[in-house]
Amino acid sequence: MKFFVPRSSFLVCSWLEVLRSSFFVLGLLVVHANAANEEPGTKNQEQKIEPFRPEAGKFPPLEKAHSYRGELVFVDHANRRGSIRVHAAGTYFRNPPQPFALLPYAVVRYHGAPADLRDLPLGTVMHVSAFLPPDPKMSAVPVLPVDNKDKIAGYSGTGVAPAENHILLLEDEASHCQREGLVWKLKEVDLKNNEGMIVAICEPKAGGDGKASEEKLTFDAATCLWRGRERLGIADLIAEGTWPASGKKSLDGQAVQLGITWKPTPDGVFARFHISDIWLDDTATQRAAQIQTETHKAFIRSRWMPAWIDNVEYGKFGRATVTATLFGGMDASLYADFQKDVQVLINGAENTLKHAGGGYGPAHMASKGSIVEVIKVPSEVPLGSSGLQIRFETDLVIEGIRPTRVVRVRPASWPQVQVPREEYVGDSSNADDRFPTPAIFPKY
Amino acid sequence: MVLGLLLVHANAANEEPGTKNQEQRTEVFRPEAGKFPPFDKARSYRGELVFVDHANRRGSLRVQGTGAFRRNEPQPFAMLPYGMVRYHGAPADLRDIPLGTMLHVSAFLPPDPKISAVPVLPINNKKKDAEGGAGFAPAENHVLLLEDEASHCQREGLVWKLKEVDLKNNEGLIVASREPKAGTDGQASEETLTFDAATRIWRGRECLEIADLITEGVWPASGKKSLGGQAVQLGIIWKPTLGGVFIRFHISDIWLDDAAMQRAAHNQTETHKAFIRSRWMPASVDAVEYGKFGRATVTATLFGGMDASLYADFKKDIPVLVNGAENTLKHTEGGTAGPAQMASRGTILDVTKTPGDVPLSSSGIQVRFETDLITEGLRPTRVIRIRPAAWPDVHMPREEYLDSGNFHHEDRFPTPDIFPKY
Repeated sequence: MKFFVPRSSFLVCSWLEVLRSSFFVLGLLVVHANAANEEPGTKNQEQKIEPFRPEAGKFPPLEKAHSYRGELVFVDHANRRGSIRVHAAGTYFRNPPQPFALLPYAVVRYHGAPADLRDLPLGTVMHVSAFLPPDPKMSAVPVLPVDNKDKIAGYSGTGVAPAENHILLLEDEASHCQREGLVWKLKEVDLKNNEGMIVAICEPKAGGDGKASEEKLTFDAATCLWRGRERLGIADLIAEGTWPASGKKSLDGQAVQLGITWKPTPDGVFARFHISDIWLDDTATQRAAQIQTETHKAFIRSRWMPAWIDNVEYGKFGRATVTATLFGGMDASLYADFQKDVQVLINGAENTLKHAGGGYGPAHMASKGSIVEVIKVPSEVPLGSSGLQIRFETDLVIEGIRPTRVVRVRPASWPQVQVPREEYVGDSSNADDRFPTPAIFPKY
Repeated sequence: MVLGLLLVHANAANEEPGTKNQEQRTEVFRPEAGKFPPFDKARSYRGELVFVDHANRRGSLRVQGTGAFRRNEPQPFAMLPYGMVRYHGAPADLRDIPLGTMLHVSAFLPPDPKISAVPVLPINNKKKDAEGGAGFAPAENHVLLLEDEASHCQREGLVWKLKEVDLKNNEGLIVASREPKAGTDGQASEETLTFDAATRIWRGRECLEIADLITEGVWPASGKKSLGGQAVQLGIIWKPTLGGVFIRFHISDIWLDDAAMQRAAHNQTETHKAFIRSRWMPASVDAVEYGKFGRATVTATLFGGMDASLYADFKKDIPVLVNGAENTLKHTEGGTAGPAQMASRGTILDVTKTPGDVPLSSSGIQVRFETDLITEGLRPTRVIRIRPAAWPDVHMPREEYLDSGNFHHEDRFPTPDIFPKY
């Protein structure tokens, strides 16, 4: 199964087929042909410029997303939103943070693995694929003019405040590169007092297509170098004689993965990014992905799998047979727990994925029932979907379980825990709980 | 060297915060402008970091009370201008701390309730009882010291002694107690904490997983094993808890040896050094002697809790740049042209170390500098930012400065409106 992913406007990379394993989501580039746990996308396409507004109940096509890159500046994880300082051609530091909201079915990836917003350190430079707000009236972030990405903002340049602020795919540099089949090839290091500059190029591992250009990135004594199961500092590489204590050294195109952040840049440079992490080998990259995968698995098991309702066949006395599509981007082991005859619990949820369950915990008012059927979608699966549908029968169909609405579902074998206060809707007396407004975002 | 080592000093720069906690005080105390409040009058509590607005140096914590932790609404807090953050036994900024981290808090009532950036609560609010138990919403929400578990333990001279592990499918429970490294004081009680396959185990320069310890035969693949009181440092977070348990915390990291802990502290120290060099050292103005034609000699106390190498850069005769700053430590002047644009410039005449005990959050270091352009904001009790001219000349990101003369009131005096009401 394949996705088409728009080419990022700031990286000039060749099209590359990236095939993945559905059972080994460690950021490895392995083959797979199926739905659940599929990593987002295969091939880039040219940047599309037509604005696209997703519709309720349909996963929007990734190739119609607007892609950009920026530093994560603010996170309101309970409402699945935040702010990003968007990269353009001008003076980066001037760019005011731009609010964004995750679509309910959005996929977040960090260190080549599924993630939640709360897992991302502030300052991380993220790759974004986003759309116009599906329903501007209910947008949790400011609604901007549709053509805003084409506007010039003073010294900041063009496109620092795109109207496409509802995100389908949010991924850090390592995740982005692994999805695209790219590595950073280190050309030269220039070092003094444990900090300095690296010249590198981001291109396909197997060989460049001549389209990528070299980039200068800073690093410092806080940069982490991961080798196998070791975490090293710059000083360790110097002590080993791998890097010089001072001066320049050619690194011969050494292929690595990078973690990229942003810090204020000296010398009046408009935009220069900073290396927070260097993964020197595949083992190190895989171990980082493994830890993030485990973090996210525990998270989803405690918060339940998000999905939406495709269909409800009403029976008598509150009975119903419900068909729901599980959202995508999770580890395969989570989807594998949804089997025929398994008991499940289902709750209505908001677009923020907050449970409607209240203070007694999400299980208290949940619909309960058995999975009648698990269906794999036979065609191409859009990003955001797992490609897995479950049909279950319940004797108590509750409010919220209606076609196009978002739900949370869990197999009864997942742990029964109660979510923290900010992650469920209370008694609905505060409308902001259900429909957060953009009021919290500062105006610059 | 601030490597999280357990050093006791009585003086000045690079001092780790305090030595030992004192008994919880109950009297009401409100800090005054221009005075570092005494640490022993702070109210201490503990909570999970749930929300961060780092540009305004505030956030929310789910405070541990006596009841069901998960029911506790996140409580807004603001860092005092001289408030110190420590992470992994090293100086930190709020932006360095992952959401979910359990933090130890020492805090006061708002110094000036009228301009509090977080809700002002009734003074006796710490006694308020609810489903989360008493103490989950203290009025003391202006923080002097915010530290993660590893920082707290190192400051207090404590370690976690691991008694027993119970493991299944790479996750499980650890029974441990937090007590002095050299022995027990008889006051520590055993605590049960969870861990899982995402828990990181640091040994020297290795980052291990639970599976690695099992492979090595150090931990069993399944079942219980005594750990014999093995002394470690822990990173502690909170996750929803199985089995209706009111409060149980989760281990995110285990540092098995001093080398591992020191490497973590070193990494955080370097992060913070770069941060302060680019944002300038915060300080407060003690005195201004006005001269003619805009000249003045200014005395300022550098705030505490930074790495010693930063303070060492403040020397007699070096040129410095100084800007007024807000209580959020945002630069007031300079705007989009950068903080250096409108800064007062001058030369350090003296660097003085305060004799005797230095209050937490003061460095104990005063600098006197002379400038030919005394700008607004450089007035006694006001907060400033100062940098040696040798530090890098960089521009702040947009959310960290006021846009000179073009800012919103909210920019200078953030209101509590951002925080949700539950």
